[in-house]
Amino acid sequence: MKNFTYAAPRNVADAVRLAGQPDARFIAGGTDLLNLMKDGAQSHGAIIDINGLALGDIVQRNDVIRIGALARMSDVAAHPAVRRSLPVVSEALLNSASPQVRNMAAVGGNVLQRTRCGYFRDSGTTCNKKAPGSGCPALEGENRGHAILGGSDHCIAVHPSDLAVALLAVDAVVLTDRRRIPFADFHVVPGTTPDQETVLGHGELITGFEIPVTPLAARSRYLKLRDRATFEFAVVAVAAALNMRGDTVRDVRLTFGGVATKPWRSPEAEEALRGKPLTTTTITEAGRALVRGAVTRDHNAFKVDLVQRALDGLLRDLGGVR
Amino acid sequence: MTVGRPVERVDGRAKVTGGARYTADRTLPGMLYSYLVMGTIARGRVTAVDTAAARAVPGVVEVFTHENAPRLTSDQHFMPLQGTQIHYNGQIVAITVATTLEQAQEAAELVRVTYAPETPKAVIADALTEVYLPANQEVIVGDPTAGLAAAEVTVTQNYSSPPHHHNPIEPHATVAQWDGDRLTVHETSQGVVNAQRTFATTFGIPQTNVRVLAPYLGGGFGGKSPVWPHSLLNAAIARQLGRPAKMVLARSQMYSIVSHRAEFRQQVTLGAKRDGTLTALVHHSTQQLSRTSENMYSHSISSRMLYACPNIHTRQQGVRLDVPTSRFMRSPQMASHFGLETALDELSYQLGIDPVELRRRNYTDVNPTTGERFSSRFLLDCYKLGADAFGWSRRNPKPGSTRDGHEFVGWGMATEAHDHNANPSSAMVRMAADGTVLSQTATQDIGTGTYTVFTQVVADALGVPLNQVKVELADTNFPPAALSAGSGTIASVTGAVNAAALAVRTAVVQLAVSNPASPLHGVSVERIITQHGYLFSPDRSRRESYRAVMARHGAPVQNTSSMTNARGYSTGAVFVEVRVDPRYGRVRVTRGVGAYDAGRVMNHKTARSQVIGGFTWGIGNALMEHTVLDRRTARVVNPNLSTYLLAVNADVPEIDAIFVNKPDPVSTALGARGFGETPITGVPAAIGNAIFHATGRRIRDLPFTQDKLLY
Ligand SMILES: Cc1cc2nc3c(=O)[nH]c(=O)nc-3n(C[C@H](O)[C@H](O)[C@H](O)COP(=O)(O)OP(=O)(O)OC[C@H]3O[C@@H](n4cnc5c(N)ncnc54)[C@H](O)[C@@H]3O)c2cc1C
Ligand code: SF4
Repeated sequence: MKNFTYAAPRNVADAVRLAGQPDARFIAGGTDLLNLMKDGAQSHGAIIDINGLALGDIVQRNDVIRIGALARMSDVAAHPAVRRSLPVVSEALLNSASPQVRNMAAVGGNVLQRTRCGYFRDSGTTCNKKAPGSGCPALEGENRGHAILGGSDHCIAVHPSDLAVALLAVDAVVLTDRRRIPFADFHVVPGTTPDQETVLGHGELITGFEIPVTPLAARSRYLKLRDRATFEFAVVAVAAALNMRGDTVRDVRLTFGGVATKPWRSPEAEEALRGKPLTTTTITEAGRALVRGAVTRDHNAFKVDLVQRALDGLLRDLGGVR
Repeated sequence: MTVGRPVERVDGRAKVTGGARYTADRTLPGMLYSYLVMGTIARGRVTAVDTAAARAVPGVVEVFTHENAPRLTSDQHFMPLQGTQIHYNGQIVAITVATTLEQAQEAAELVRVTYAPETPKAVIADALTEVYLPANQEVIVGDPTAGLAAAEVTVTQNYSSPPHHHNPIEPHATVAQWDGDRLTVHETSQGVVNAQRTFATTFGIPQTNVRVLAPYLGGGFGGKSPVWPHSLLNAAIARQLGRPAKMVLARSQMYSIVSHRAEFRQQVTLGAKRDGTLTALVHHSTQQLSRTSENMYSHSISSRMLYACPNIHTRQQGVRLDVPTSRFMRSPQMASHFGLETALDELSYQLGIDPVELRRRNYTDVNPTTGERFSSRFLLDCYKLGADAFGWSRRNPKPGSTRDGHEFVGWGMATEAHDHNANPSSAMVRMAADGTVLSQTATQDIGTGTYTVFTQVVADALGVPLNQVKVELADTNFPPAALSAGSGTIASVTGAVNAAALAVRTAVVQLAVSNPASPLHGVSVERIITQHGYLFSPDRSRRESYRAVMARHGAPVQNTSSMTNARGYSTGAVFVEVRVDPRYGRVRVTRGVGAYDAGRVMNHKTARSQVIGGFTWGIGNALMEHTVLDRRTARVVNPNLSTYLLAVNADVPEIDAIFVNKPDPVSTALGARGFGETPITGVPAAIGNAIFHATGRRIRDLPFTQDKLLY
């Protein structure tokens, strides 16, 4: 880690101005940023501490829940309005990291956390995300944890956030100091520029998230599969929101973690269910639609099967299908 | 008597309040910080090292490369920085030294190393044609070929396990200070006496010129047994620069220079009669070796010592790869034990004999390799106690026979077994004029409870309360004692501590009975009872406190004793319940019972902690733990605790630990045997056996991750 300057602005305008410096970075909980800097995966000359900004509130106004960017993961997970109206968000958070990390980490930082791809976090290894053009050792390497959807020949790293998968499922909007960005447009696939993970500009500050309260979001759930019972990132995760009219699926959101290079929504899988009854056949068809474009590598082919199983299990639970 | 009781850790308060000072907590005036630069190729040569930018960082005092590093040799390890050759990925290629840690780290990132790389071999699969049998790695008892021919049923299966890293919570650290040709080292060491010898030899100075201290250790698991080259280099740097120097390894650095458990493949062939008695046991294994050492650390002891079998063949092969040298890691025998205990389960199904019954039928009191009788072995009691506590008799052996909601329930078991060290040890006990007692010995407490157990031993021998006794450990100024490895601390050192305490007791009793001023004057020494800090006449009508006797004497009473114990073998039986969700291949361990014969149990709490720790680690070993090596670069891809998975609380059920608790008659450690490594050895096999019972699926390749269980 190299030496850096530190500033703790008191208002958004100052924070954004300070963050305009070429190699500046915001710090919230620091639970990811500091690891990245210590591991030599990232290096910054100026650290702008935003914890002094008044961005920690969680409020419901009419049919919108607004979560400040500095709200801690634990506080959001426990908030009554979130638990009542956005259960998938609460569940995704409670399935993330550990209580200690959740007490430190802010939701704004969470959706910007970077991949756990081992090559990316190793300063002694080349990686296109870290040093564009240097190559991607994961393509032919140890890729059991890597993406089967949304990858490119340049990068197949999974986006690690659970919260982001849930926010995508409930049609969240990202609020920044200068604009509103629908969550679906926020993260981008790697393509030829895997170093770019979101549409956020340099020095642009996330101030919060707005989430509409809908019947769809109210019936939502998160299923996370991983290699140990807790304190681990997803091998495969599914967020589902379901709105039924009688036996028919009126509307549905299906988003996925652990399998894709960004929080992944599958309109194809949703389409396989919308307007149809929830049965073994339609659920199976949704799973097939999800993985139709999957590209597997040496060690991650099992995810094609596992993600369909996870979708199947979650939809049966949520829809009460035997 | 306090021995045997679950006495609380005497160092617990210091540890939870931060009062315990670990090696990395040492700061000395004028101290410099050394920081390592690790190589990024596994095989080849360093062609150039550019240190200009590193040297320009403010506070940097020196940057050492192979060109200017102190010249050192080691009789134990490959010594880096002595030439350009690279033997494994993550080899030390430079060391920066600065007045603060941050400066040294920043400089380390700026060192530019250029290599002439060659293609490495990282895994056994890439070098199958290079497997060979090093000297003295084959043992044949009886006639295995005839034994197999005589078998009515045989099982032959292959098993494999990945490399593992020790990952103690406390990183390796070393602080070296020279005073002329005298060296003091604070070292994260499981053996200060061995460390003293290594430093003395390396620097060509008398052993008495070296003092090594390690009063607290945050775990070692074998990885802190030797002195590694980085500590020797740090001491050499301190000498060359004329200032104390400290080096603390980053977590990621602990994945290449402080050893690991080797990748392991094995084939087990069992021949048996229909009644289950073994006629042959053939165990062939292959473990990874390095380019610089052919030492082996994963031994097939279980196959040679555990079961009654007249015909045994163990063959421990190796294959040299471009990876670091492996080493002992907690319970080094567990890698091969996994194969044996899984193969026995497979045999039990072929024979239709209950797995506990099969093991019972092959029980022996006699070491099958040497023919010698074990001094004591209560393994049959372990099977019974464990099975009863678990409710094993209710088990329906049919795989897949029990279902609860979505989940299949399975019960599995395995024998647990590990041998233990015993090294000659000495200890000092001194009663001060105020009656307080100090005991010193140069063994260690690596987190296992040595401080507590020795406090109990001394208190019991003298008949004083625990709080009147203070124990000091892990300083080479104390009487030399055993390495804390190979489950050997309690077994090796207890006898000396007890003997020294008893000698002090006798001397103090003598002082009392021989002095007319004592109420005990004239009572014979042998008839005095000591308890609660008092000396009593046989009928307890007269008494005098230790304090009073010592006050009158006005000087301390001291003894140093030495003792050698026999090596031994502690066994047990572990029973587990798993639940497997076939939808996701997800395995949960939901129950665990272990029953053990460890000789006398010195402290029920610290012994139980070994079971909990072993069982926990065993769950990790079975379900998740493995070092991921990139096959093309032989570089570790998961060198941190967020991707190198160990079991966490949510993975671990309540664990029931049962002890037979019968003293081993030959043990000079009050009948205790070494135990730390036994209660993990059988856990991976027991879990695999339970998964088979739950689902009918046999997985022979550790760890049992969910991708292997989808069906
Ligand atoms: C051991 C461990 C396990 C974990 N397990 C999980 C898991 O299972 N699931 C999961 O989802 N996550 C997991 N995480 C990740 C964790 O959730 C993130 O590290 C955390 O959410 C990041 O939040 P932070 O406030 O600490 O961000 P920081 O580390 O402070 O910042 C992260 C990034 O976001 C930027 N940033 C922060 N706030 C803003 C803002 N308001 N505007 C613009 N930029 C901003 C920073 O500049 C930085 O680049 C784990 C982390 C650890 C250490
Ligand atoms: S997958 Fe992406 S992050 Fe990982 S090594 Fe390749 S480019 Fe880097």
